[in-house]
Amino acid sequence: MTNGLDVLRSGLLTENLILLQGLGVYALTRYTASIAQAWKVGSTMLGAMITGALGLWIVELLAIPEYLGFISCLAVAAFAAWLWQRLIGLEVSLSDGLLDTALLGLLLMLTRDHITGYMGMVYAAGAGLGYLAVLLVIAYLRNQLELAPVPKAFKGVPLVLITAGLLGMVLLGFKL
Amino acid sequence: MSKLIDGVFRQNPVFRLALGLAPAIAITTTAMNGLVLGLTTAIILVVAALISAMLTDAVPKTARPVVHLGVVAVLTLGAHRILLGIDPQIVADLGIFLPLIVVNGFVLHSLERTNAPVEAVLDVVGKGLGFVGALVLVGAIREFLAYGSIFGAALLDTRLPLFALAASVPGGMVILGLLLALYNVVTGQGGELND
Repeated sequence: MTNGLDVLRSGLLTENLILLQGLGVYALTRYTASIAQAWKVGSTMLGAMITGALGLWIVELLAIPEYLGFISCLAVAAFAAWLWQRLIGLEVSLSDGLLDTALLGLLLMLTRDHITGYMGMVYAAGAGLGYLAVLLVIAYLRNQLELAPVPKAFKGVPLVLITAGLLGMVLLGFKL
Repeated sequence: MSKLIDGVFRQNPVFRLALGLAPAIAITTTAMNGLVLGLTTAIILVVAALISAMLTDAVPKTARPVVHLGVVAVLTLGAHRILLGIDPQIVADLGIFLPLIVVNGFVLHSLERTNAPVEAVLDVVGKGLGFVGALVLVGAIREFLAYGSIFGAALLDTRLPLFALAASVPGGMVILGLLLALYNVVTGQGGELND
């Protein structure tokens, strides 16, 4: 169980997908304009990540040849994202982040590091929670900064990236 | 010609449209990484745009995104094989960011706007060059700050790096954020437009 908790914690903190691995930055800049939007996108991705890990487990049980690994990851990611978008009622097109780099990146990392089965799902849950938490924190900070006298050139994406970078530096401390 | 120049500067995918930020942050720890990933992405985009433009009339509008994804996936697999043949170390350095070209927002957004083949190719060539330029610039700055070198050539004779965090993802976010703000100052555009 401790091992499972460690895996969950690493997905949430020390290997945070957005802040420490640079995956899902598109969502960070596009879907953090409001807390409600961040919650919807983050929870969609949390569900998709866990479902994606379950899908990878099934793919492994089906003994699909290794050279089809990338295609199967892509298919599983697309299905998981589509399913959770339908369940949560999120309207996002393919080019607008239906297939987020964080989702496909996570599945590729799970395959690369041979983390499958129950552990893969626990890691995906940690990664998804970390993703959701970052979107919510950035959305909250953007809300707070709305009335702050931010220079025009820094408004929008530059400020989001600098804020996220500083948060990521804090998380780096957990790796030491 | 104006489309080409627009793609490089006025409509730069990274600095103006804020697309393809994940590779621009995660993989550009060195200028060489930025160059290789940028060039690979740009070549895949140009070929995919040409194929998509030729298929435009044959494929219904609703099915186009899936076709684009399939075309880019096949081209990415091909690029992976070619790079593996040239230098396996490059593939190892790029890690999962090479296959992630498939879901690169910059690639998928650009393909959505493809029209006539010639126009489409000119448009994506400009944007592709802009993407390569942006990744090389970010990579060169980060490599200089973190290791005191550019493209592996040592420029500073120092044991302590200027800013070691530049090689980390959070450092990359801060540097890219500052570059985006600088771009906004130079072009007189507001950051909010990038939202």
